[in-house]
Amino acid sequence: MRRKAIGRVFAGVAGAAVGVSLLAVALLILITAFQAGPLTSMRAVAEAGISLSLRSLEVPGAREALTYVTIAQVVAGSPAAALGLSRGDALVALAGTGVDRPSRAWEAVGRAPGGRAVTLPVVWLPRAEVALGGLRAEWRNGEAQVVMVSPSAAAREAGLQPGDVLLAIGGIPVSGTRQAWEALVVAARTQGVPVEITVEREGERLTLFWDPTRTGELTFVRDPLRAWWSFLTTLNEPRYPERAGLLPAFLGSVYVVLVMAAVALPLGIAGAVYLEEYASQNALTRAIEILVANLAGIPSAVVGIIGLEVFARALGAGRSILAGGLTLAVLILPIVIVASREALRSVPKTIREAALALGATRWETVRHHVLPYAFPAILTGTILSFSRALGEAAPLLFLGAFLYVTYVPQGLRDSFTVVPLQIFAWATRPQDGFAAVAAAAIVVLLSFLLLLNAGAILLRNRYQRRWSE
Amino acid sequence: MSPFDFEPVLSARNFSLWYDSQQALRNINLDIPAHQVTAIIGPSGCGKSTLLRSFNRLIDLVPNVRVVGKILFRGMDIYGRGVDPVEVRRRIGMVFQKPNPFPKSVFENVAFGLRINGYRGNLRERVEEALRLAALWDEVKDDLHRKTGYDLSGGQQQRLCIARALAVEPEVLLMDEPCSALDPIATAKIEELIRELTAVTTVVIVTHNLQQALRVSDWTAFMLLGELVEFGPTREIFTRPKDTRTEAYVTGKFG
Repeated sequence: MRRKAIGRVFAGVAGAAVGVSLLAVALLILITAFQAGPLTSMRAVAEAGISLSLRSLEVPGAREALTYVTIAQVVAGSPAAALGLSRGDALVALAGTGVDRPSRAWEAVGRAPGGRAVTLPVVWLPRAEVALGGLRAEWRNGEAQVVMVSPSAAAREAGLQPGDVLLAIGGIPVSGTRQAWEALVVAARTQGVPVEITVEREGERLTLFWDPTRTGELTFVRDPLRAWWSFLTTLNEPRYPERAGLLPAFLGSVYVVLVMAAVALPLGIAGAVYLEEYASQNALTRAIEILVANLAGIPSAVVGIIGLEVFARALGAGRSILAGGLTLAVLILPIVIVASREALRSVPKTIREAALALGATRWETVRHHVLPYAFPAILTGTILSFSRALGEAAPLLFLGAFLYVTYVPQGLRDSFTVVPLQIFAWATRPQDGFAAVAAAAIVVLLSFLLLLNAGAILLRNRYQRRWSE
Repeated sequence: MSPFDFEPVLSARNFSLWYDSQQALRNINLDIPAHQVTAIIGPSGCGKSTLLRSFNRLIDLVPNVRVVGKILFRGMDIYGRGVDPVEVRRRIGMVFQKPNPFPKSVFENVAFGLRINGYRGNLRERVEEALRLAALWDEVKDDLHRKTGYDLSGGQQQRLCIARALAVEPEVLLMDEPCSALDPIATAKIEELIRELTAVTTVVIVTHNLQQALRVSDWTAFMLLGELVEFGPTREIFTRPKDTRTEAYVTGKFG
């Protein structure tokens, strides 16, 4: 009875382990995919032609700053430009939702009912000079007063005149020329239009009502495929998450891994062949084996120090792809050696004997038989080590790889960034949207790793030799 | 000198062998007659496989092996200074206990030895010749390149290994219990083949199976605990052994 119970406990633990790992992978994919959700609407807003920027207005006495959103960039020739939006304008509302931070605009685009393309009403306030006209700050009785020097046509229409002193906009006391416009933006959003404006004209207080906003319609194309594709294939624009691109980091990763493979594969396989096929069992061989095993246990950040001191500084490779690839090669070399030795060991001794008995030299035996037969298993093992290297950020961080690279590296001596570093850089940005971009990059990295590992498994199943016993 | 009247192709002279500190062969003196079949028999662990592997220096693969004495191959000591074991193995072929074809096509299995030896002639012809010698040609001629060694049956695999060894025209063919992994029908075929091989080479076969030794060999050597107890014509060893230990073994009293 007791033995059965132990068996059940073991099965339970094993089942739980499998379940937990499956759950972890599923959760990881679900969470990152969910986090990356806004990417589609972010790219839709960017493709409509505008980049958004978060600003804030401090109101005396208020506990928190009031935020608003300006248009930081308008792409020439885009629908937004055609509508008349320009740089410096404030976005007040989109699809009927007040926009107090960039994510609100993306959410509005994402949530709007309709198909792939949606046309949504946009409410915006032109930039200060256009909306209000010329203002001047004056000191009177120890206080700053904002005087309208040359009101804009719209302001004149609302009844404002040159020489009016702006006291409050939407109940917010006016304290500066820029702040007056900001108050107008916030009031238009929070209180609606028309906005109540209090002015002093010739010693008298007047209250006027004015709608300074402009409205129009903008079409947004919500296409997840296109959004992801453009995310993957555009250069990075570090300031605006809606224009973030993974291309430099992705190619950086690919190049670094290629350099790493070109160095670590021949070295690692040669080392494994030496240890398995040539080395006699002596103290030196055992020392090398212990060294290799310990090298595999070195924290990756420490390997980064080797990269920095040896490759970047002593050998003068700098923070280049070459130095990055060499550093990662040091990292995976022991894994390649161990995996290759395992693969070589799986080729039965009788095959070596058969070749040697025919008068083959040791090298001919390795070259024509042992290595070719072991190669699929070597490849499987090393592909798994590649996926480890692809996910490494720490050693390259130590090396001094850049966090933002806005160009595609052209040669071995170019500086670079890799996907994990780019994720790290995005994930630490507090601004709206970067979390989604980081999550999207994680999804890309995960898919790439899954693909690699699936490839390794396929390779193994396809080519793995079963030696008859 | 040999007490028998033949010209030996391979001779052990006061040959001893140690694995680390354990002695596996004790002062072996043995002559192998050319173009005949010599069987080495004896109970497990008596050193017969070790002796066989000493004949082509495959024993070198085992770490910490030490030898004393000589093994003469056509008068040359193969353990002498300056002798390349690779060269020795090119001239003395071997077939193993378990069939061990390469996981390549039948053709490539047989051609490998020729290729590494830089054979200049017609590869195809030689491969066919070797396969015919091994009585395998008719069974594989249509799939030379399509079938791998692993697609064949056990008996066919062993004959493929024999063809592979014969392709390089060895002067001696060492066989280490070549039928121990085969069924009786496949065994019969191999035994028949061994008889025919004396036309082209000299065969030394280690076997556990006394009946097999009786069936295929002209000469028999009986070994016990690393020593060569008795050597002589097979019929005499089995019918009129001089040593009581040989008699006890061949009559089935131990082993």
